[in-house]
Amino acid sequence: MSTGYTLVICEKPDSARSISNALSGGECSSELVEGTKVFRFVRKGEEFVVCAAQGHVYGVSDPSVERTVYPVFDIEWYPSDLVDESSASATRRISAVSKLAVGASKFVNACDYDVEGETIGYNLLKYACGGKEKSALRAMFSTLTEEDLVKAFDDMKPQAGQELARAGRTRHAVDFIWGVNLSRALSQSALGFGHRYRTVSVGRVQGPTLEFLAERELEIREFVPIPHWKASGTFERDDVRLTAGYAKDKVETRMSAEKIRRECVGEEAVVTALRKSSVQVGPPAPFNIGDLQKEAHRAFGYTPSRTLQIAERLYLSALISYPRTGSQRLPPSINYRSIIHGLGRIQEYSVHAAELLKKEPKPVHGAKTDAAHPAIHPTGEKPKRPLQTSEAAVFDLVARRFLAAFGPSARRELAEATLAVGGHEFRLAGGRTVFPGWMKYYGRYAGYRDVEVPPVSEGDRFRVVGVTLEEKFEQRPPRYNQSSLLEKMEKEGIGTKATRAEIITTLVRRGYVSGDSMEVTALGLSVVETMSRYAPTIVSTELTREIEGKLEAIEWGRGSEVDLLRETVRSIAGPLDQLNLNEDVVGREIDSALTATVAKSFVLGKCPVCKSGDLKIIRSRATKKRFVGCSNYSSGCHTSAPLPQKGTVRTASRPCERCSWPVIYVGGGRRPWRLCVNPNCPGKEKS
Amino acid sequence: MKCLVCGRDAVTDLCRYHAEAKDRVRAAYPLWVKAYGSIEWKDFLDNVKRNPQTGQWAKEIAELLEG
Repeated sequence: MSTGYTLVICEKPDSARSISNALSGGECSSELVEGTKVFRFVRKGEEFVVCAAQGHVYGVSDPSVERTVYPVFDIEWYPSDLVDESSASATRRISAVSKLAVGASKFVNACDYDVEGETIGYNLLKYACGGKEKSALRAMFSTLTEEDLVKAFDDMKPQAGQELARAGRTRHAVDFIWGVNLSRALSQSALGFGHRYRTVSVGRVQGPTLEFLAERELEIREFVPIPHWKASGTFERDDVRLTAGYAKDKVETRMSAEKIRRECVGEEAVVTALRKSSVQVGPPAPFNIGDLQKEAHRAFGYTPSRTLQIAERLYLSALISYPRTGSQRLPPSINYRSIIHGLGRIQEYSVHAAELLKKEPKPVHGAKTDAAHPAIHPTGEKPKRPLQTSEAAVFDLVARRFLAAFGPSARRELAEATLAVGGHEFRLAGGRTVFPGWMKYYGRYAGYRDVEVPPVSEGDRFRVVGVTLEEKFEQRPPRYNQSSLLEKMEKEGIGTKATRAEIITTLVRRGYVSGDSMEVTALGLSVVETMSRYAPTIVSTELTREIEGKLEAIEWGRGSEVDLLRETVRSIAGPLDQLNLNEDVVGREIDSALTATVAKSFVLGKCPVCKSGDLKIIRSRATKKRFVGCSNYSSGCHTSAPLPQKGTVRTASRPCERCSWPVIYVGGGRRPWRLCVNPNCPGKEKS
Repeated sequence: MKCLVCGRDAVTDLCRYHAEAKDRVRAAYPLWVKAYGSIEWKDFLDNVKRNPQTGQWAKEIAELLEG
């Protein structure tokens, strides 16, 4: 009979601590193994040792030392810090797990229960524990509350999630083959033109995503607005004066617009129709990760990756459930009453919670499901530490959305009056909430405005005292923002709930997209153009979507990873040949785009003094220090300003409201700080 | 051959992007004439150039066509 301990492998150090505290009732000890913190305790007479990875501690790479050669189709799994410098502690953590595995007789995978978590646990059990991936038990939970964790460890199952791990490992392999070959092909082409080495990457999902952005960018840059007119009438009767818009929203010619004015002013208008209706507005579905990211962007302006990070911190603090879920459903097993009751202990929600508990709570559900986790919901626990402003904001959003899901439908009354003047019609529309229902719980996030319709009745007569004509121009299409791009990726079925935000961040980091406005750079356009010409399938949504479908089939145990890998190699071989054959042309195009993008990245904005030059980042030849100077220096504009000497500089989308000088974000620390480059900005004097 | 506006590689005197922008500017003129009743080509280009909604490449083409 074996006498070893049970080794529990968690995804992150914080979850290792929560699991240890929950299972030991707070009676666990900690020690350092290979510089990594591990926890020990005894539960029901059984000794447990709990250790943690730090996300992915293994990554895919090619076995050759040469990093410029392509195609690469041989791949192996390595400690992440050998393939990615940013994963510094991987080898140390792997050593700790290997050392602990020697004394273990039982192994438990307690990583997050999804594709990525399953892959992390599987790799550690396979490589660091000497092939324990098949015999290990699985603890599955959706929150880090004591109750859920105890239940998960009491109900551990063998072999659960093997398909998820297969799908995860295949995804990593497919993405690596795709990314490494295309990126090397592009980077090597540019290098051939003497450009300093710079990674020019195209990933499997990155390519089509960049294509969406480039397509919109072209529409914007080629856009020519067409004029039209908007008419609105002012109507009077006794002491009532009201304004109504012309029924046709756009009047296409100036002549028609003037005709409306000529034929209406001074005439009598009659209310020919008054339509009133009452509509039920049902509560919004509970959050999955995509919906939370979109709503946090709408409510607070947070980027999807920031929201995900915040949500993960809230999950690790046992305040909300696992956030990387696609589900919009709240199963009864989460215990609605207990969570609502728990929220009721927080002052902001106490009144709403008490109200909802008067009846048997029953939530609304959305259509999307996820077999692994329910929709994001609060755990009902009170924060045990002061939350940062952003954490408090996202927690409030999740808590209110959860409460709103249990609320009754709201009722709004809509009214529309039609005023006829000869052959012309004007419309007056409005709406108001008469029964708030769930909106009361969702609070300021509900977003419905009341617009009152003045009291008019059918047959009422008014005098037209004026018609205003406004010359308008068609608006050019808006650029995607991080939230709308995420929505587009979701709609097109590319990427996963866990990876979409990271892909958007990569596009910005690679210099394909600049600033907050998501404007595509010359380099981004050039990459898309090159790919569309020589390897169109690489930027096509169809191929990426097809692969996603096959990866999903593997998750469900219905697909073969070998077939998919073979198909990947086949689908990439042709485009690689094309890129190789046209290396000179591709290299010249990428090189010139790189030069243009780098040059533009030094421009902060228009010079507010001479109005014609650009304020640029310049490095002094004498002092080697960087500063801001005007490009019209030789023509007499000596505008200049100092710059912080450390940190990356990124231009904000708008200049300073006080002085019109460019505003920059200086990075390097935990969060970039905002700075108007004008040393004499009146805004600075005040602060 | 290089694009007259941006210096990118081009088959004719304009790159693909500026050639498309030129087509857009030309296609917009009859719509402006219809909207205003009449407008001179020069005035049209000047208005397109100054309109904040006009895209960057369309503006550059308007400037080029203005001479």
